[in-house]
Amino acid sequence: MNAPETRASAARGGALARWWRAHRWALAQSLLRLREHPLGTLLTVAVMGLALALPLSFYLVLLNLDRFGQALGEGQAVSVFLQAGDAQAQAQALARTLRGEQTVAAVTLKSPRQGLAALAALQGFGPALAALPDNPLPWVLVVEPRVAASPSQIAALVRQLRADPRVALVQDQGPFRARLDALRGFGARVMQVLAALLALAALLVVGASVRNDIQSRSQEIEVLQLVGASAAFVRRPYLYAGLWLGLLSGVVAVALTMLLEAVLAGPAARVDAAWGGRLGLVALDVTPLLALLLAAAMLGWLGARIASARHLAADEPA
Amino acid sequence: MIRFEQVSKRYPGGGAALDGVSFALEQAEMAFVTGHSGAGKSTLLKLVGLLERPSAGVVTVTARNLRQVRRRGIAQHRRAVGMVFQDHRLLLDRSVQANVELPLVVAGVPASERAKRARAALEKVGLGGMEQRLPARLSTGEQQRVGIARAIVARPAVLLADEPTGNLDPQLAVEIMRLFAEFQAIGSTVLVATHDLFLIKRIRKRVLVLDHGRLVDDLAAGEVAA
Repeated sequence: MNAPETRASAARGGALARWWRAHRWALAQSLLRLREHPLGTLLTVAVMGLALALPLSFYLVLLNLDRFGQALGEGQAVSVFLQAGDAQAQAQALARTLRGEQTVAAVTLKSPRQGLAALAALQGFGPALAALPDNPLPWVLVVEPRVAASPSQIAALVRQLRADPRVALVQDQGPFRARLDALRGFGARVMQVLAALLALAALLVVGASVRNDIQSRSQEIEVLQLVGASAAFVRRPYLYAGLWLGLLSGVVAVALTMLLEAVLAGPAARVDAAWGGRLGLVALDVTPLLALLLAAAMLGWLGARIASARHLAADEPA
Repeated sequence: MIRFEQVSKRYPGGGAALDGVSFALEQAEMAFVTGHSGAGKSTLLKLVGLLERPSAGVVTVTARNLRQVRRRGIAQHRRAVGMVFQDHRLLLDRSVQANVELPLVVAGVPASERAKRARAALEKVGLGGMEQRLPARLSTGEQQRVGIARAIVARPAVLLADEPTGNLDPQLAVEIMRLFAEFQAIGSTVLVATHDLFLIKRIRKRVLVLDHGRLVDDLAAGEVAA
């Protein structure tokens, strides 16, 4: 078989088959390289895994703090004071209307008599109330927004109530919710910055690992170039190695986060029980976990791509 | 097939490794390049293999002006050129077979065929049965033959060998040269750099004589006195 026959043999099965053979070889080489340095591989994966687990764990904590904050917001219901002298029928009609709203979870009616009894129970109010000729208190509706209701939806509801001629006064917890939202936003931003910094750290770790591998294999790279390997062919095993390192690190990060979930499950359940089961604390579902695995693999590949572009000697004759 | 036209090569801070060299080698022709150490033999081979570029002049290989071959074309050019190096350039942590298969891996030849052809190449250089040995456990002469097997396994259009028999006993050296002559017979152009006069006299081929980078003689096959 001569040179043209070698080319014919290489072309067997077409360009796709040749492409697959080249990638299969690069895949095998990349796995061999990781296996050749088990300690180095383990350390790289552990460091990257820890770096990636931190933002994921922070995301989990933030997700649950968000639920907690929403539950706190739910506890701070909107109080609607009707015009004095309005009859029970009007109060009940407004309550029915509000219960039909998407953003409302529950409406509790408090009569003037219930209000007066509550005031009388407070120390020192008794004699003063006894001196009143009649009950001056109005009907009050206590409106609890749904947990899922957004701040803008609640604000719209409050505006709608204030515009109602039957309503004398609306007390809502807008400032409280604004503070809560600000804290949520701050936490989310901290998580984003943390994730970006740790992703950069992971990129540098895998880049350093691939750079070391390239430097220790300079002779092999030279031989490959001498027998006609293209730059892409030489680079490919390092890119696969980066991809594996990233993927393995992602698996470690997911495992660590699930461990964190397991450790926090008991205390979280007790907090939830203390709030009457209304918090509904959540575990991470499969989507962010898969996203992390994908992101970790891409980070590994990118780190290897940068390192190989910087450190693979250009095959340019002098 | 290989054409040098007034080719010079100068290294920064050094003299001329090659100085105005011109010659042409047709397809299926075999020639020796000889001369004393530092005469420019290795440089000449490096220019053909596109490991280096000339400072002046034109090198044409398989009808392609190498000056016009840019980055992407270098790998393609080298796949058509088999090279045997003085220092073997083997991967010491890979088996003999893995070393020999490398050009076929790069060319995208299927694994089963790679193995078959690597074994055949090793048989030809007298290393049959040593496929799974590591090069580090072989003698220098055996390592040299692994390098030769790697150069011939893809049956390149051009075969370059830089002192390929320096570590071989005379009988084996003659056998390797006959193997190169077989390649010539089936259409490869073969250029062998050597200062082994015994070999040049035994294998009657064209001889290019270099002296201080200049081509001082171009002897036809059989013109070298026995």
